[in-house]
Order: sequence, then C-alpha cells, then structure tokens
Amino acid sequence: MLKLLHLNNAKWECSFLGEQALLLTSAVGDDTAIEVIHSSTYMLNHANIFGMVDIIPAYQSIALVYDRLLESLDQEISRIESQISDKSITMPDPAKHRLPVCYEMGLDWKAVEDHTGLPKDAIIKYHLNGNYIIAMMGFIPGFIYLSGLDKKIHCPRRENPRIEIPAGAVGIGGSQAGMYSLKSPGGWQIIGQTPHSFFNPREIPPVKVKAGDRCVFERITEAEFRKIREGVNHDR
Amino acid sequence: MIGSLTVNDGGLFTTIQDGGRSGYRKYGIPVSGAMDTHSWKLANWLAGNPLDTPILEMTLKGGVYEFNSQAVIAIAGAEMKPEINGEKAPMYKTIQVQHGDKLQLGYCRKGCRSYLAIQGKWEIDKMMGSYSTYTPGVFGGLKGRVFKKGDRLQWQSAKFKGDREIDRKLIPHFASSNTLRVIKGPEFDWMNPQEQKQFLGMTYMVSAESNRMGIRLKGEEKLEVSSRQMSSSATLPGVVQLPQSGHPVILGKDGQTVGGYPRIAKVVEADMWRVGQLPPSSYVGFKLIDIEEAKALKEYQQALYRENLK
Repeated sequence: MLKLLHLNNAKWECSFLGEQALLLTSAVGDDTAIEVIHSSTYMLNHANIFGMVDIIPAYQSIALVYDRLLESLDQEISRIESQISDKSITMPDPAKHRLPVCYEMGLDWKAVEDHTGLPKDAIIKYHLNGNYIIAMMGFIPGFIYLSGLDKKIHCPRRENPRIEIPAGAVGIGGSQAGMYSLKSPGGWQIIGQTPHSFFNPREIPPVKVKAGDRCVFERITEAEFRKIREGVNHDR
Repeated sequence: MIGSLTVNDGGLFTTIQDGGRSGYRKYGIPVSGAMDTHSWKLANWLAGNPLDTPILEMTLKGGVYEFNSQAVIAIAGAEMKPEINGEKAPMYKTIQVQHGDKLQLGYCRKGCRSYLAIQGKWEIDKMMGSYSTYTPGVFGGLKGRVFKKGDRLQWQSAKFKGDREIDRKLIPHFASSNTLRVIKGPEFDWMNPQEQKQFLGMTYMVSAESNRMGIRLKGEEKLEVSSRQMSSSATLPGVVQLPQSGHPVILGKDGQTVGGYPRIAKVVEADMWRVGQLPPSSYVGFKLIDIEEAKALKEYQQALYRENLK
C-alpha cells in the first residue's frame, strides 16, 4: 500500500511503518538532495501534526512516529498537507564546525590503504580536503553521518565488525564519513579519533551539532589530542 | 513519607524503566522503556501508582532487595519465585512490606522479565523526559547502569492503602513456544512469494545473545536476503530486520533508530509486550495479519486496560 504525499515541492511515497508510524520515502530515490530531507524534516517538525511525537530523518526517507493509532493513508496525508501548506519556513543557517582529528590513532589504516591503493598521507590529505555536511544522526546516540567524502577514499566496512570502537572514532563506511560519540560495536574503518564529544545526555539538545551543519577536519598530534581530551573531561 | 531500599544483589540485569522517551530519535537516541509494557502497567496499578510510573525491570534473575522502610509493592511478569524473608510472596497482588523485609527473586522459570513496582515518587532524575535506563549510552535510571550490590533507591510515598488483585483474564501465560503477530514491513516485498512463505512458515529459536536492543533469532535454515542495496532508514521497536546472516532480528526498546537491513515485518503493537518475555532458547513463529486487524487488537487491549486498571 503506497500513496503519494506532496511536501516541500517534492513527491514522497507514503506508507505505514507499523500502526503508529508513517514512512515518507523520496520518490526520486538516490537523487534526493540531503538538503531536501533536512528542510522537509524541519517543516514537519514545526507543523502541528496531531499525535506526532518523533521524527527520524535518514538519507532518502523521513519517518513520523505517533502516539496514536493511524487512520487511513489518505486521511493522514491530508492531515499533513493541510498543516504544512501556506507556511513559509526559514531554516536556521547551518553552523560550521572545525573538528580536530588525530590520524595516528586510526585502527584500520592497512585495510584502507589496501582498498584505496593510496598511502596513508594521501588518504589523510583527501580526508582533510573534504567539505562535509552532517547528513543524519543515528543509529546510536550521537553517531554522525557525514556526506562529502572524496570518492578516492571510499572504502567498504569491515567484514567482521569490531566489538568495541572508542568514543570519538572517525571512520569511513562505504561512501560516507562518520564519527562515533559513544563507545560501541561497529563496522566502520577507523582512520583517526577526535577528542571532542558531541553527545551529552544532560544537555538539551543532547547533541551539539545539527543535521545540515558543515564540518571540516583539522589534523592534530597525539599530544594535542590528550590535552584537548583532558580539557573536555575537566569541563564535565 | 520517605521510603528506601538497598540492593543486596542486583540480579542479572536490573534497570529502571518507564514508558520511554520520545522526540530524540533524530539524534540517534532510542525510545527505551519497559520491554513488557503489559506487566509494567499491571504492577504499577497494583501498587497504586499512575500506570506510567518507573519500575524495576529484572531480567532472567531478580536479585535481593532489602527495604529500609514500610512500602507498598507489587510484582508482575516472568515468574522468579518471589519470596519475602524466605516465604513465598504473591504475584499480581498488592503487597505491604515492613522495615527490614528482604525481597528475593530467583531465576526465572517462565518468561524473561519480572517487574517490581514500588508505590511513590522515586527520587531519581528524568533524562530527556524519561526515567528509563539506556545502558549502552550510560544514561537514565540509576546512573545509566544496571543495579549493583549496595545501590540505594529512595522515594516519597503517598498514602495508598489499597489491596488490589489482577483479574485472571489479564494475567499472562508464558510459554516456551510463542507466535507473534506481524504486519508487513516496508521491504516485505523484497522477498519473493516463496521466501515470504519460508519466513512466515519457519520456527525460530531465540539466541542467548538477545538483549534490550534486539531479539536475535535463529531459523532452521537461513533466509534468502535480497542483494538490493538499502540506504539507512528509520527503524522502530518491533521491526523485524533481515541482516546478511539470513537470521532475523526483532528490534527491542533500546534498538537502533536507523538501519540498513531490510525491514521485512513488524510485530504488531498489541504483541510488543510479549517480545519482552522471550527467554533464550525459546521458540518463536510469526503470523501475518493486516494492519486493520492489528489496530483492532491494540484498541481491544487499550479498552481492557481502561476497564480493568481504573
């Protein structure tokens, strides 16, 4: 069962993700600009949609979670469309973040060198040259997906995921760059670590960056890494 | 009046849970909350609490809790042979405990999680709108972790003197073989009719690696996985994912917010509490129903609570 929803000058295939959630999938699929996802998420979040309690944006889809049982797709679509129409919304400007990375603390250099056929220094150069956009967050708190990774350093995930990846790990997963805010299991190729932490459950919002923000990486030494991390811990 | 208990033995995996947190999934923060919401509600009602009050969720083995004051408590869910000072304590019934009483819960015999409600307002911090513990992120509940020997829980108790009992028809029966009703997931049609039939016809065993994030199942045979690439998209508790291994996973309350594996099915809301009671090595099957039937089941369940847990 699938119906079309019009939102933000785009067409979305609307379906049920259970009895209390809707899944809006961009009808143009892979070609969806991540900006369209971000602005649509923003619009939905600021519309007053009856019973909606959560929203989960991803690369080509947005899920809306409700605290009530949903009615028919047609009814739910018209509810959303009527709440969104006539509203011009200005998104807040994206912030720009400079993120220090210590590449000496990478864990998977050999795999990335083997796969890309490039030496470590060249990989670091390409990684540092990238202009990244925070595409989305998830699958665990504060995991940050970045789009904008140079094609030359794309690298598939590990066949055997690591049981533990340290908080602050900076990695490559296919065509994406990403960062772990929490110590967790994971399959990304880790090429460095940042002393920064983006996740603090005691703050609202709990993650300091937002989808759509821009990021650049800056290289630091291990000594600088330790100094910054000590400062971060001291602040807590 | 201030009440408190001291943990003499925290059992295997005991955490504080409530109805979970909403509104933070865009940051990757899962819902959390009681895995078995049915037992959570029953226990709170018995203890004279609002139904959404936080509770102790004990997994597989309960532990020993010593009360430093009088308290009104109730136990529901998996049967862990509860005893107070060595004497059998009832389940599904309001219990008055006295200063110095020791409540002991052993290994669970049926089901997987037992719930201990304590009447009153607990003195713990709300984190992002909920008291639920999310151990992978070390936040919520009691210091973001499981209960340990020496922990103390304190509460402000009101003056509930009730003596309640649960109507028999609401008391769940836990079996070693369970059928969960599911509706189609967004990628159900990635399986061909033969594969769909295989998925729905097979019996699965619950793996010991299951936890609050996911119930890992092992089928008699591996299921075929479509080679189509999927970009990460939203997941919810109850979503049945089919990873490369060919063995499905039912996402739990601490489940990830997005995932890149086909979402072949979703356990219906009315059966979600039963997902929280699947012990390792028990058997699970799936029965496909349509969404209208799923909604009717949920409405029926809500009406039961309205009538019986007044």
